[in-house]
Amino acid sequence: MFGYVRPFRPELKCKDFDLYKATYCGLCRCLRRRYGLIAPMFLNFDFTFLALLLWEPEECFTPCQGRCYANPLLRKPMCPDSPALDQAADASVVLAWWKLQDTVQDEDFWKGLCARALLWTLKPAYRKAVCRCPDFDRTVKTCLEELAVLERENCACLDRAADTFARLLQGASPQGGERGRILSQLLYHLGRWIYLADAQDDLERDKLSGRYNPVFARYGPDGDSRALTMTMNQSIELVGAALQLGEFGCRKALLENIVYLGLPLVQRAVFNGTWNEIKKQKIWRNDR
Amino acid sequence: MRDPYSVLGVSQNASDEEVKKAYRELARKFHPDNYQNNPLADLAEEKMKEINEAYDTITKQRSGGYSGSSSRNYTGYQQSYGSGNPGYIRVRNLINAGDLEGAEQLLYEVGQRDGEWYFLSGSIAYRRGWLDEAMQNYTRAVQMEPGNMEYRQALAVMQRGAMGGYRPAGYATGIDTMDCCTTMLCLNCLCGGGRC
Repeated sequence: MFGYVRPFRPELKCKDFDLYKATYCGLCRCLRRRYGLIAPMFLNFDFTFLALLLWEPEECFTPCQGRCYANPLLRKPMCPDSPALDQAADASVVLAWWKLQDTVQDEDFWKGLCARALLWTLKPAYRKAVCRCPDFDRTVKTCLEELAVLERENCACLDRAADTFARLLQGASPQGGERGRILSQLLYHLGRWIYLADAQDDLERDKLSGRYNPVFARYGPDGDSRALTMTMNQSIELVGAALQLGEFGCRKALLENIVYLGLPLVQRAVFNGTWNEIKKQKIWRNDR
Repeated sequence: MRDPYSVLGVSQNASDEEVKKAYRELARKFHPDNYQNNPLADLAEEKMKEINEAYDTITKQRSGGYSGSSSRNYTGYQQSYGSGNPGYIRVRNLINAGDLEGAEQLLYEVGQRDGEWYFLSGSIAYRRGWLDEAMQNYTRAVQMEPGNMEYRQALAVMQRGAMGGYRPAGYATGIDTMDCCTTMLCLNCLCGGGRC
Protein backbone atom coordinates (compact mmCIF):
# COMPACT_ATOMS: atom_id res chain seq x y z
CA MET A 1 0.00 0.00 0.00
CA PHE A 2 2.96 2.29 0.41
CA GLY A 3 5.50 3.89 -1.88
CA TYR A 4 3.28 4.95 -4.76
CA VAL A 5 3.83 8.67 -4.23
CA ARG A 6 7.30 9.51 -5.45
CA PRO A 7 8.99 12.19 -7.55
CA PHE A 8 10.09 11.75 -11.13
CA ARG A 9 13.78 12.29 -10.83
CA PRO A 10 14.94 13.31 -14.34
CA GLU A 11 12.66 16.34 -14.26
CA LEU A 12 13.69 17.44 -10.76
CA LYS A 13 15.97 20.43 -10.34
CA CYS A 14 19.06 19.70 -8.26
CA LYS A 15 17.82 21.93 -5.44
CA ASP A 16 14.49 20.13 -5.38
CA PHE A 17 16.20 16.77 -5.34
CA ASP A 18 18.33 17.91 -2.38
CA LEU A 19 15.19 19.15 -0.69
CA TYR A 20 13.45 15.81 -1.21
CA LYS A 21 16.38 13.80 0.02
CA ALA A 22 16.89 16.01 3.07
CA THR A 23 13.20 15.75 3.92
CA TYR A 24 13.36 11.96 3.59
CA CYS A 25 16.45 11.78 5.81
CA GLY A 26 14.92 14.31 8.20
CA LEU A 27 11.81 12.17 8.54
CA CYS A 28 13.97 9.13 9.22
CA ARG A 29 15.81 10.98 11.98
CA CYS A 30 12.56 12.31 13.38
CA LEU A 31 11.14 8.77 13.54
CA ARG A 32 14.26 7.55 15.32
CA ARG A 33 14.24 10.38 17.84
CA ARG A 34 10.55 10.24 18.60
CA TYR A 35 9.93 6.52 18.38
CA GLY A 36 13.19 4.65 18.83
CA LEU A 37 15.19 2.23 16.76
CA ILE A 38 12.40 0.21 15.14
CA ALA A 39 10.34 3.10 13.81
CA PRO A 40 12.63 4.15 10.90
CA MET A 41 11.80 0.77 9.33
CA PHE A 42 8.43 2.26 8.45
CA LEU A 43 9.87 5.25 6.67
CA ASN A 44 8.44 5.67 3.17
CA PHE A 45 8.00 8.05 0.27
CA ASP A 46 4.32 8.69 0.91
CA PHE A 47 4.93 10.20 4.31
CA THR A 48 7.79 12.26 2.94
CA PHE A 49 5.20 13.74 0.61
CA LEU A 50 2.92 14.36 3.60
CA ALA A 51 5.73 16.14 5.47
CA LEU A 52 6.38 18.34 2.43
CA LEU A 53 2.69 19.22 2.26
CA LEU A 54 2.39 20.05 5.94
CA TRP A 55 5.46 22.26 6.06
CA GLU A 56 4.87 25.93 6.81
CA PRO A 57 5.08 27.67 3.42
CA GLU A 58 7.15 30.56 4.78
CA GLU A 59 9.88 28.31 6.05
CA CYS A 60 12.90 28.12 3.75
CA PHE A 61 14.97 25.02 3.16
CA THR A 62 17.97 25.08 5.52
CA PRO A 63 19.37 21.59 5.96
CA CYS A 64 21.65 20.60 8.82
CA GLN A 65 24.12 17.72 8.88
CA GLY A 66 23.19 14.52 10.65
CA ARG A 67 24.35 10.96 10.93
CA CYS A 68 22.66 8.49 8.63
CA TYR A 69 20.69 5.83 10.44
CA ALA A 70 21.32 3.11 7.87
CA ASN A 71 25.03 3.83 7.70
CA PRO A 72 26.33 5.67 10.80
CA LEU A 73 29.67 6.34 9.11
CA LEU A 74 27.99 8.78 6.75
CA ARG A 75 26.87 12.28 7.51
CA LYS A 76 24.08 13.56 5.34
CA PRO A 77 22.20 16.83 4.90
CA MET A 78 18.79 16.52 6.55
CA CYS A 79 15.95 18.82 7.40
CA PRO A 80 16.03 19.90 11.05
CA ASP A 81 13.16 18.91 13.33
CA SER A 82 9.92 20.68 12.57
CA PRO A 83 6.22 20.29 13.35
CA ALA A 84 5.60 18.96 9.83
CA LEU A 85 8.12 16.15 10.28
CA ASP A 86 6.70 15.36 13.72
CA GLN A 87 3.17 15.06 12.33
CA ALA A 88 4.30 12.92 9.41
CA ALA A 89 6.25 10.68 11.81
CA ASP A 90 3.25 10.28 14.13
CA ALA A 91 1.01 9.44 11.19
CA SER A 92 3.44 6.87 9.79
CA VAL A 93 3.68 5.02 13.09
CA VAL A 94 -0.11 4.91 13.50
CA LEU A 95 -0.68 3.76 9.95
CA ALA A 96 2.13 1.19 10.10
CA TRP A 97 0.54 -0.27 13.22
CA TRP A 98 -2.88 -0.66 11.66
CA LYS A 99 -1.41 -2.00 8.44
CA LEU A 100 0.37 -4.71 10.44
CA GLN A 101 -2.84 -5.53 12.28
CA ASP A 102 -4.48 -5.91 8.91
CA THR A 103 -1.71 -8.24 7.74
CA VAL A 104 -2.08 -10.40 10.85
CA GLN A 105 -5.75 -10.90 10.04
CA ASP A 106 -5.45 -11.35 6.29
CA GLU A 107 -2.29 -13.33 5.66
CA ASP A 108 -1.42 -16.95 6.28
CA PHE A 109 0.21 -18.17 9.47
CA TRP A 110 3.90 -17.56 8.61
CA LYS A 111 3.51 -14.09 7.19
CA GLY A 112 1.18 -13.33 10.03
CA LEU A 113 3.83 -14.46 12.47
CA CYS A 114 6.30 -11.89 11.11
CA ALA A 115 3.68 -9.18 11.37
CA ARG A 116 2.90 -10.25 14.94
CA ALA A 117 6.56 -9.97 15.89
CA LEU A 118 6.78 -6.51 14.35
CA LEU A 119 3.60 -5.46 16.10
CA TRP A 120 5.07 -6.50 19.39
CA THR A 121 8.20 -4.41 18.82
CA LEU A 122 6.22 -1.45 17.54
CA LYS A 123 3.78 -1.39 20.43
CA PRO A 124 5.57 1.20 22.65
CA ALA A 125 5.99 3.53 19.67
CA TYR A 126 2.34 3.12 18.74
CA ARG A 127 1.22 3.95 22.28
CA LYS A 128 3.24 7.15 22.17
CA ALA A 129 1.86 8.07 18.75
CA VAL A 130 -1.73 7.57 19.90
CA CYS A 131 -1.20 10.06 22.72
CA ARG A 132 0.15 12.58 20.23
CA CYS A 133 -2.53 12.23 17.57
CA PRO A 134 -5.58 10.47 19.05
CA ASP A 135 -7.91 11.86 16.37
CA PHE A 136 -5.93 10.39 13.52
CA ASP A 137 -5.76 7.03 15.26
CA ARG A 138 -9.53 7.03 15.70
CA THR A 139 -10.10 7.97 12.06
CA VAL A 140 -7.81 5.20 10.86
CA LYS A 141 -9.52 2.67 13.08
CA THR A 142 -13.08 3.55 12.03
CA CYS A 143 -12.18 3.79 8.34
CA LEU A 144 -10.49 0.40 8.36
CA GLU A 145 -13.44 -1.13 10.17
CA GLU A 146 -15.78 0.28 7.54
CA LEU A 147 -13.52 -1.08 4.84
CA ALA A 148 -13.58 -4.52 6.45
CA VAL A 149 -17.39 -4.48 6.39
CA LEU A 150 -17.41 -3.52 2.70
CA GLU A 151 -14.91 -6.27 1.97
CA ARG A 152 -17.14 -8.84 3.61
CA GLU A 153 -20.11 -7.61 1.59
CA ASN A 154 -17.98 -7.84 -1.57
CA CYS A 155 -18.93 -4.23 -2.35
CA ALA A 156 -19.14 -3.59 -6.10
CA CYS A 157 -19.04 0.18 -5.72
CA LEU A 158 -15.49 1.25 -6.42
CA ASP A 159 -16.00 4.69 -4.94
CA ARG A 160 -17.46 3.48 -1.69
CA ALA A 161 -14.49 1.21 -1.01
CA ALA A 162 -11.97 3.85 -2.06
CA ASP A 163 -13.80 6.41 0.06
CA THR A 164 -12.78 4.64 3.27
CA PHE A 165 -9.07 4.83 2.53
CA ALA A 166 -9.44 8.35 1.13
CA ARG A 167 -11.05 9.54 4.37
CA LEU A 168 -8.35 7.76 6.32
CA LEU A 169 -5.63 9.76 4.60
CA GLN A 170 -7.73 12.89 4.82
CA GLY A 171 -7.52 12.48 8.59
CA ALA A 172 -3.84 13.41 8.41
CA SER A 173 -4.63 16.95 7.24
CA PRO A 174 -4.75 19.87 9.67
CA GLN A 175 -8.22 20.91 10.79
CA GLY A 176 -10.00 24.10 9.83
CA GLY A 177 -9.11 27.19 7.89
CA GLU A 178 -8.46 27.62 4.22
CA ARG A 179 -5.29 25.57 4.38
CA GLY A 180 -7.09 22.75 6.17
CA ARG A 181 -9.78 22.66 3.50
CA ILE A 182 -7.28 22.57 0.68
CA LEU A 183 -5.10 19.89 2.25
CA SER A 184 -8.04 17.72 3.21
CA GLN A 185 -9.31 17.77 -0.39
CA LEU A 186 -5.84 17.04 -1.67
CA LEU A 187 -5.29 14.13 0.69
CA TYR A 188 -8.76 12.73 0.04
CA HIS A 189 -8.10 12.39 -3.66
CA LEU A 190 -4.58 11.19 -3.12
CA GLY A 191 -5.93 8.50 -0.80
CA ARG A 192 -8.48 7.49 -3.42
CA TRP A 193 -5.77 7.26 -6.02
CA ILE A 194 -3.46 5.20 -3.79
CA TYR A 195 -6.27 2.80 -2.94
CA LEU A 196 -7.17 2.27 -6.60
CA ALA A 197 -3.54 1.91 -7.66
CA ASP A 198 -3.06 -0.69 -4.95
CA ALA A 199 -6.24 -2.51 -5.95
CA GLN A 200 -5.14 -2.69 -9.58
CA ASP A 201 -1.69 -3.83 -8.51
CA ASP A 202 -3.14 -6.63 -6.35
CA LEU A 203 -5.69 -7.72 -8.95
CA GLU A 204 -3.85 -10.87 -10.12
CA ARG A 205 -2.86 -11.92 -6.62
CA ASP A 206 -6.34 -11.40 -5.21
CA LYS A 207 -7.85 -13.31 -8.13
CA LEU A 208 -5.76 -16.35 -7.22
CA SER A 209 -6.32 -16.14 -3.49
CA GLY A 210 -10.00 -15.27 -3.85
CA ARG A 211 -9.70 -12.22 -1.66
CA TYR A 212 -11.84 -9.09 -2.08
CA ASN A 213 -10.61 -6.69 -4.71
CA PRO A 214 -12.65 -3.58 -5.61
CA VAL A 215 -11.46 -3.55 -9.23
CA PHE A 216 -12.52 -7.19 -9.62
CA ALA A 217 -15.87 -6.48 -7.96
CA ARG A 218 -16.57 -3.47 -10.16
CA TYR A 219 -15.20 -4.46 -13.56
CA GLY A 220 -14.91 -8.25 -13.45
CA PRO A 221 -11.86 -10.54 -13.33
CA ASP A 222 -9.89 -8.77 -16.03
CA GLY A 223 -10.46 -5.29 -14.73
CA ASP A 224 -11.05 -2.44 -17.14
CA SER A 225 -7.86 -0.49 -17.52
CA ARG A 226 -9.45 2.21 -19.66
CA ALA A 227 -12.21 3.10 -17.24
CA LEU A 228 -9.98 2.75 -14.19
CA THR A 229 -7.25 4.90 -15.75
CA MET A 230 -9.81 7.57 -16.46
CA THR A 231 -11.18 7.69 -12.95
CA MET A 232 -7.66 7.64 -11.48
CA ASN A 233 -6.63 10.48 -13.79
CA GLN A 234 -9.57 12.46 -12.52
CA SER A 235 -8.30 11.98 -8.99
CA ILE A 236 -4.83 13.20 -9.97
CA GLU A 237 -6.50 16.16 -11.64
CA LEU A 238 -8.30 17.07 -8.41
CA VAL A 239 -5.13 16.62 -6.36
CA GLY A 240 -3.49 19.07 -8.76
CA ALA A 241 -6.38 21.53 -8.57
CA ALA A 242 -6.13 21.59 -4.78
CA LEU A 243 -2.34 21.86 -4.89
CA GLN A 244 -2.56 24.97 -7.07
CA LEU A 245 -4.77 26.74 -4.53
CA GLY A 246 -2.45 26.22 -1.59
CA GLU A 247 0.71 28.05 -0.57
CA PHE A 248 3.73 25.76 -0.41
CA GLY A 249 6.63 28.20 -0.74
CA CYS A 250 9.89 26.64 -1.88
CA ARG A 251 8.35 23.15 -1.86
CA LYS A 252 5.84 23.90 -4.60
CA ALA A 253 7.97 22.81 -7.56
CA LEU A 254 8.83 19.50 -5.91
CA LEU A 255 5.21 18.83 -5.02
CA GLU A 256 4.18 19.63 -8.59
CA ASN A 257 6.76 17.18 -9.91
CA ILE A 258 5.36 14.43 -7.68
CA VAL A 259 1.74 15.11 -8.61
CA TYR A 260 2.05 15.84 -12.32
CA LEU A 261 4.88 13.48 -13.28
CA GLY A 262 5.45 10.95 -10.51
CA LEU A 263 1.87 9.82 -10.00
CA PRO A 264 1.04 9.36 -13.72
CA LEU A 265 4.18 7.31 -14.31
CA VAL A 266 3.60 5.10 -11.31
CA GLN A 267 0.03 4.63 -12.50
CA ARG A 268 1.26 3.56 -15.91
CA ALA A 269 3.66 1.10 -14.30
CA VAL A 270 0.88 -0.38 -12.20
CA PHE A 271 -1.19 -0.98 -15.33
CA ASN A 272 1.55 -2.47 -17.50
CA GLY A 273 2.85 -4.70 -14.75
CA THR A 274 6.32 -3.19 -14.35
CA TRP A 275 5.54 -1.74 -10.96
CA ASN A 276 6.70 -4.77 -9.00
CA GLU A 277 10.28 -4.35 -10.18
CA ILE A 278 10.23 -0.61 -9.72
CA LYS A 279 8.85 -0.36 -6.25
CA LYS A 280 11.74 -2.19 -4.66
CA GLN A 281 14.27 0.23 -6.08
CA LYS A 282 15.38 3.37 -4.33
CA ILE A 283 15.22 6.58 -6.27
CA TRP A 284 18.60 8.05 -5.44
CA ARG A 285 21.15 5.30 -5.68
CA ASN A 286 22.91 6.48 -8.84
CA ASP A 287 23.97 9.80 -7.36
CA ARG A 288 26.87 8.36 -5.48
CA MET B 1 -5.04 45.08 -0.60
CA ARG B 2 -1.85 43.23 -1.42
CA ASP B 3 0.67 44.71 -3.79
CA PRO B 4 -0.71 43.96 -7.27
CA TYR B 5 2.72 43.02 -8.58
CA SER B 6 3.26 40.39 -5.92
CA VAL B 7 -0.23 39.00 -6.61
CA LEU B 8 0.79 38.41 -10.21
CA GLY B 9 4.26 37.30 -9.13
CA VAL B 10 6.18 39.82 -11.26
CA SER B 11 8.58 42.62 -10.33
CA GLN B 12 7.64 46.31 -10.36
CA ASN B 13 9.69 46.95 -13.48
CA ALA B 14 8.37 44.03 -15.50
CA SER B 15 7.36 44.91 -19.04
CA ASP B 16 3.69 45.12 -20.04
CA GLU B 17 4.16 41.90 -21.93
CA GLU B 18 5.49 40.08 -18.87
CA VAL B 19 2.64 41.33 -16.73
CA LYS B 20 0.15 40.15 -19.32
CA LYS B 21 1.82 36.77 -19.56
CA ALA B 22 1.82 36.28 -15.80
CA TYR B 23 -1.82 37.31 -15.66
CA ARG B 24 -2.80 34.88 -18.40
CA GLU B 25 -0.96 31.99 -16.75
CA LEU B 26 -2.67 32.64 -13.41
CA ALA B 27 -6.04 33.09 -15.05
CA ARG B 28 -5.57 29.79 -16.82
CA LYS B 29 -4.66 28.16 -13.52
CA PHE B 30 -7.64 29.40 -11.54
CA HIS B 31 -10.14 29.41 -14.38
CA PRO B 32 -13.62 28.40 -13.17
CA ASP B 33 -13.55 25.53 -15.68
CA ASN B 34 -10.88 23.84 -13.60
CA TYR B 35 -12.96 24.09 -10.43
CA GLN B 36 -16.42 23.39 -11.70
CA ASN B 37 -18.43 21.60 -9.04
CA ASN B 38 -15.27 21.40 -6.93
CA PRO B 39 -15.79 22.04 -3.19
CA LEU B 40 -12.85 24.45 -3.39
CA ALA B 41 -14.48 26.51 -6.18
CA ASP B 42 -15.03 29.49 -3.87
CA LEU B 43 -11.30 29.69 -3.09
CA ALA B 44 -10.45 29.60 -6.79
CA GLU B 45 -13.00 32.31 -7.43
CA GLU B 46 -11.43 34.50 -4.75
CA LYS B 47 -8.01 34.02 -6.28
CA MET B 48 -9.43 34.89 -9.68
CA LYS B 49 -10.95 38.06 -8.31
CA GLU B 50 -7.68 39.05 -6.70
CA ILE B 51 -5.78 38.46 -9.93
CA ASN B 52 -8.31 40.43 -11.97
CA GLU B 53 -8.13 43.35 -9.56
CA ALA B 54 -4.34 43.31 -9.53
CA TYR B 55 -4.19 43.28 -13.31
CA ASP B 56 -6.71 46.11 -13.54
CA THR B 57 -4.78 48.19 -11.03
CA ILE B 58 -1.51 47.72 -12.90
CA THR B 59 -3.01 48.53 -16.31
CA LYS B 60 -4.64 51.63 -14.85
CA GLN B 61 -1.41 52.79 -13.24
CA ARG B 62 0.54 52.24 -16.41
CA SER B 63 -1.92 53.95 -18.71
CA GLY B 64 -1.73 57.05 -16.52
CA GLY B 65 -4.85 56.70 -14.45
CA TYR B 66 -7.11 55.83 -17.32
CA SER B 67 -9.76 53.58 -15.94
CA GLY B 68 -10.18 50.88 -18.49
CA SER B 69 -13.08 48.53 -18.21
CA SER B 70 -12.46 45.16 -16.73
CA SER B 71 -14.76 43.49 -19.20
CA ARG B 72 -11.93 41.35 -20.53
CA ASN B 73 -11.61 39.62 -17.22
CA TYR B 74 -12.40 36.00 -16.85
CA THR B 75 -15.38 35.49 -14.66
CA GLY B 76 -17.32 32.67 -13.16
CA TYR B 77 -20.34 31.11 -14.75
CA GLN B 78 -23.87 31.98 -13.97
CA GLN B 79 -25.48 29.09 -12.22
CA SER B 80 -28.34 27.92 -14.36
CA TYR B 81 -31.39 26.41 -12.82
CA GLY B 82 -32.36 23.46 -14.96
CA SER B 83 -36.01 22.71 -15.34
CA GLY B 84 -37.31 24.87 -12.52
CA ASN B 85 -38.75 21.92 -10.61
CA PRO B 86 -38.91 23.29 -7.02
CA GLY B 87 -37.59 20.01 -5.57
CA TYR B 88 -34.53 20.16 -7.81
CA ILE B 89 -33.91 23.82 -7.02
CA ARG B 90 -33.78 22.96 -3.34
CA VAL B 91 -31.40 20.09 -4.05
CA ARG B 92 -29.17 22.45 -6.04
CA ASN B 93 -29.15 24.96 -3.21
CA LEU B 94 -28.18 22.27 -0.72
CA ILE B 95 -25.37 21.06 -3.00
CA ASN B 96 -24.06 24.59 -3.33
CA ALA B 97 -24.20 25.03 0.42
CA GLY B 98 -22.20 21.84 0.84
CA ASP B 99 -24.90 19.81 2.58
CA LEU B 100 -24.50 16.68 0.49
CA GLU B 101 -26.36 14.32 2.81
CA GLY B 102 -29.38 16.63 2.88
CA ALA B 103 -29.26 16.99 -0.88
CA GLU B 104 -29.09 13.25 -1.41
CA GLN B 105 -31.99 12.58 0.92
CA LEU B 106 -34.13 15.20 -0.77
CA LEU B 107 -33.22 13.84 -4.16
CA TYR B 108 -34.42 10.38 -3.20
CA GLU B 109 -37.76 11.83 -2.17
CA VAL B 110 -38.28 13.16 -5.70
CA GLY B 111 -40.17 10.38 -7.44
CA GLN B 112 -39.34 10.43 -11.13
CA ARG B 113 -35.86 9.68 -12.36
CA ASP B 114 -35.27 11.93 -15.34
CA GLY B 115 -32.10 13.43 -16.78
CA GLU B 116 -31.88 16.12 -14.13
CA TRP B 117 -32.21 13.55 -11.37
CA TYR B 118 -29.15 11.71 -12.67
CA PHE B 119 -27.32 14.96 -13.25
CA LEU B 120 -27.87 16.08 -9.67
CA SER B 121 -27.03 12.68 -8.33
CA GLY B 122 -23.81 12.86 -10.36
CA SER B 123 -23.05 16.32 -8.95
CA ILE B 124 -23.40 15.03 -5.41
CA ALA B 125 -21.07 12.11 -6.18
CA TYR B 126 -18.58 14.43 -7.85
CA ARG B 127 -18.48 16.73 -4.85
CA ARG B 128 -17.80 13.75 -2.64
CA GLY B 129 -14.97 12.69 -4.89
CA TRP B 130 -16.84 9.56 -6.00
CA LEU B 131 -15.76 10.04 -9.55
CA ASP B 132 -16.72 6.66 -10.93
CA GLU B 133 -20.28 7.09 -9.76
CA ALA B 134 -20.37 10.71 -10.94
CA MET B 135 -19.26 9.63 -14.40
CA GLN B 136 -21.97 6.97 -14.61
CA ASN B 137 -24.67 9.40 -13.52
CA TYR B 138 -23.57 12.21 -15.84
CA THR B 139 -23.39 9.79 -18.76
CA ARG B 140 -26.89 8.60 -17.98
CA ALA B 141 -28.20 12.17 -17.75
CA VAL B 142 -26.71 13.02 -21.15
CA GLN B 143 -28.16 9.84 -22.65
CA MET B 144 -31.62 10.72 -21.38
CA GLU B 145 -31.51 14.37 -22.44
CA PRO B 146 -28.86 14.70 -25.14
CA GLY B 147 -29.87 18.29 -25.88
CA ASN B 148 -29.16 19.67 -22.41
CA MET B 149 -26.00 21.75 -22.47
CA GLU B 150 -25.53 21.77 -18.70
CA TYR B 151 -25.28 18.00 -18.50
CA ARG B 152 -23.12 17.77 -21.56
CA GLN B 153 -20.76 20.36 -20.17
CA ALA B 154 -20.49 18.58 -16.81
CA LEU B 155 -19.61 15.35 -18.60
CA ALA B 156 -17.19 17.14 -20.91
CA VAL B 157 -15.40 18.74 -17.94
CA MET B 158 -14.95 15.33 -16.38
CA GLN B 159 -13.66 13.78 -19.59
CA ARG B 160 -11.41 16.72 -20.32
CA GLY B 161 -10.16 16.74 -16.74
CA ALA B 162 -9.09 13.16 -17.10
CA MET B 163 -7.09 14.01 -20.17
CA GLY B 164 -5.47 17.14 -18.83
CA GLY B 165 -6.89 20.28 -17.30
CA TYR B 166 -4.41 22.84 -16.06
CA ARG B 167 -0.72 21.96 -15.94
CA PRO B 168 1.99 24.38 -14.85
CA ALA B 169 4.48 25.37 -17.54
CA GLY B 170 7.00 22.61 -18.01
CA TYR B 171 4.60 19.85 -17.04
CA ALA B 172 2.35 20.42 -20.01
CA THR B 173 4.30 18.46 -22.56
CA GLY B 174 2.51 15.29 -23.32
CA ILE B 175 3.75 12.39 -21.32
CA ASP B 176 0.43 11.00 -22.48
CA THR B 177 1.64 10.91 -26.04
CA MET B 178 4.80 9.01 -25.24
CA ASP B 179 5.15 5.66 -26.87
CA CYS B 180 5.65 2.53 -24.86
CA CYS B 181 9.41 2.52 -25.22
CA THR B 182 9.82 6.07 -23.92
CA THR B 183 7.57 5.27 -21.01
CA MET B 184 9.79 2.36 -20.08
CA LEU B 185 12.83 4.59 -20.32
CA CYS B 186 11.24 7.15 -18.05
CA LEU B 187 10.14 4.52 -15.60
CA ASN B 188 13.67 3.32 -15.51
CA CYS B 189 14.83 6.82 -14.67
CA LEU B 190 12.17 7.07 -12.01
CA CYS B 191 14.16 4.55 -10.09
CA GLY B 192 17.62 5.80 -10.73
CA GLY B 193 18.33 3.59 -13.68
CA GLY B 194 17.88 0.40 -11.76
CA ARG B 195 21.38 0.49 -10.36
CA CYS B 196 20.37 -0.53 -6.92
